[in-house]
Amino acid sequence: MQKQSTGYLFVLPALMVLGMLIAYPVAYTGLLSVTDNAGNYVGLDNFRRVLSARATPTAFWNTLWWVFGSIVFQVILGVLTAILLNQNFRGRAVVRSVTLVPWVVPGIVAATTWAWMLHTEFGIINYMLTGPGLIDEPVGWLTNGSTVLPVMIAINIWKMFPFVAIMVLAGLQSISNDLYEAARIDGASFWEEVRYVMLPQVRTVIVAVTLLLVIWALNHITIIYAITRGGPANRTLITPIQIFRTAFESVQFGQAAALSVMFFAVAIVVVFIYIRTLASNPEETR
Amino acid sequence: MKTLTMKLAMAATASFLAMSAGAWAGEVVWWTPNFNEARARELVEKFQAANPDVTVKLEITTTDGLPQRILTSLQSGAAPDVIDVQHGWVNGYAQNNLVLPVDDVLTDREDYIPAALEYNTWDGKLWGIPYRIETHAVIINKGDYTAAGLDPDNPPTTWTAFKDAAKKLTTNGKSGFAITGGGEVGNTIFRSLPFMWMLGGGIISDDGKQVLVNSPESIEAVTFYTDFLKEGISPTSTLENDGTANRRLFIAETVSMYQSGQFDIQSIRKENPNIDIGVIPVPHPDDGKTAAILGGWSFVIPSDAKNPDDAKKLLGFLAKSENQAVLTDTFPARISAMEAERFNDPILQVFKEMLPFGRPVPAHPNWVQISQAYFDGIQRILLGDEDVKTAMDGAADEIEGLL
Repeated sequence: MQKQSTGYLFVLPALMVLGMLIAYPVAYTGLLSVTDNAGNYVGLDNFRRVLSARATPTAFWNTLWWVFGSIVFQVILGVLTAILLNQNFRGRAVVRSVTLVPWVVPGIVAATTWAWMLHTEFGIINYMLTGPGLIDEPVGWLTNGSTVLPVMIAINIWKMFPFVAIMVLAGLQSISNDLYEAARIDGASFWEEVRYVMLPQVRTVIVAVTLLLVIWALNHITIIYAITRGGPANRTLITPIQIFRTAFESVQFGQAAALSVMFFAVAIVVVFIYIRTLASNPEETR
Repeated sequence: MKTLTMKLAMAATASFLAMSAGAWAGEVVWWTPNFNEARARELVEKFQAANPDVTVKLEITTTDGLPQRILTSLQSGAAPDVIDVQHGWVNGYAQNNLVLPVDDVLTDREDYIPAALEYNTWDGKLWGIPYRIETHAVIINKGDYTAAGLDPDNPPTTWTAFKDAAKKLTTNGKSGFAITGGGEVGNTIFRSLPFMWMLGGGIISDDGKQVLVNSPESIEAVTFYTDFLKEGISPTSTLENDGTANRRLFIAETVSMYQSGQFDIQSIRKENPNIDIGVIPVPHPDDGKTAAILGGWSFVIPSDAKNPDDAKKLLGFLAKSENQAVLTDTFPARISAMEAERFNDPILQVFKEMLPFGRPVPAHPNWVQISQAYFDGIQRILLGDEDVKTAMDGAADEIEGLL
């Protein structure tokens, strides 16, 4: 007994730091969500206001598209890249390093560069497409309601797939050669090797990485805020940006906190469902 | 014994506090934007020569993200002693008790442009000292005018004539007149709200009690504004263009006219000296006067300023007529300062003529959200999602809940 309490004593400082860094902000956000700017208790007023705002449902659906679109392609592209980079070919080291570039570039730099590349009048992308006559008129990538969110998702995919690739590659390299040999003796083709050796072996890595990607996509601000600020007409407004705008542009900390609390609840549920269906049931996903 | 220790501890704490306060005495921290830096340093040297017991510490800010940065510092209690802020922000600070009244610093009210003082007034007190004012006018490419068979010395003055001219200028891949539809909200407010005022409309009434955004006058004005894109007069990139993007397009000679302030003239001259720049007043309706938003900058003293007395001394110095004439990038807020030589450049003439038509934007605690709701409506029109009436009705619903 004596020993155990000494142990608690030793972890106490770490727990206190954790408590201050995690519990305090969460609790404070909860408190803010039921107070107005002057600190008076206002009950569920902030929640009511935020829910009745026209932007809130728009932001919610945009967030779903944003997360879903980003994750699916980031994972597929990332895994394919990892499998490619796991093969033996000349210049593999160079290709591996180059692949990492999008992930290494600071988000704000990437966003600004893409904003200019995609500009209707000056953008190099329209220039390259109109030059050889692939399209007649420049496309308003960021001003057309139906292209702007897919373009944001594409940039996010470009930015994050190297991370998936590098993590999965690390997993692939830890697979014992015996497994490949055994598969080949059984007459497995390359694609069968991928399906029955590689993917099952890196399954845990993919699950962990996907979870991280979901969390990052849910919390994302940089790319969209730097390029469109959520516009035009809220077409690219996702909930984290709505929270940011409510708090720091409109100075409605209470409403921003109320939105955060609801968003936190939704995010927890998403993550929980995800872990339950994928992580604890290895047989099902085969 | 115990009380003695307590007393000693208290004495030590008190002397420590006194010392740390002493370190601040005589130092004034002044946040000024980067475009003021050179002139501010010059004035600080003059001030320090006259007041050897005060040291001014200049800290240079950038306008991008400045409102958030100022608000954070004002609310955290770690604020500087003097901050340069845009007129429109002052009221919000005053209403939340974040700045000190400065009635005792600004004594010669009659020498100031009334609209500039109005911005800084709340609850009968003055909360900021305006030093810089400006309005928009329309900057034109005179060469394009001549090429299109128009006379740049006899420019259009009414909406109808202006639109006709803009249509004629829209040839050979050039856009006659560029409106804004992207970037920060303020860009589009500055360029479209005056058109609503000219007809007697607006976003909300000046007393902040009534929604005007879907009144027939406002709808007519918004239609006039957004039609420039619908009729292909404004570039297709309008929805991603703010004031800076329009200036770039003008410099690249793909846009012949756009609205802006005099601060753009210098960079156009530098980056494309071939353009023969002209300035014309913002066009008015056939039977109405022109209008503009009066913009500009003021000084405020945060409530948490460490050294408000010396800060007031500095502001008293900066508010002098001759010093305002030096510090401003555009026009000074004092009438007498306008007589300085540098404001006699002929290209500034039209900007000067626009000043009396300048009005402050309504002071409402939720103005940022109100203008965002309006701006979202403008973007829905420009995207082609909704017609003007539907979009403005939608904006009105949102604004109604914010009043």
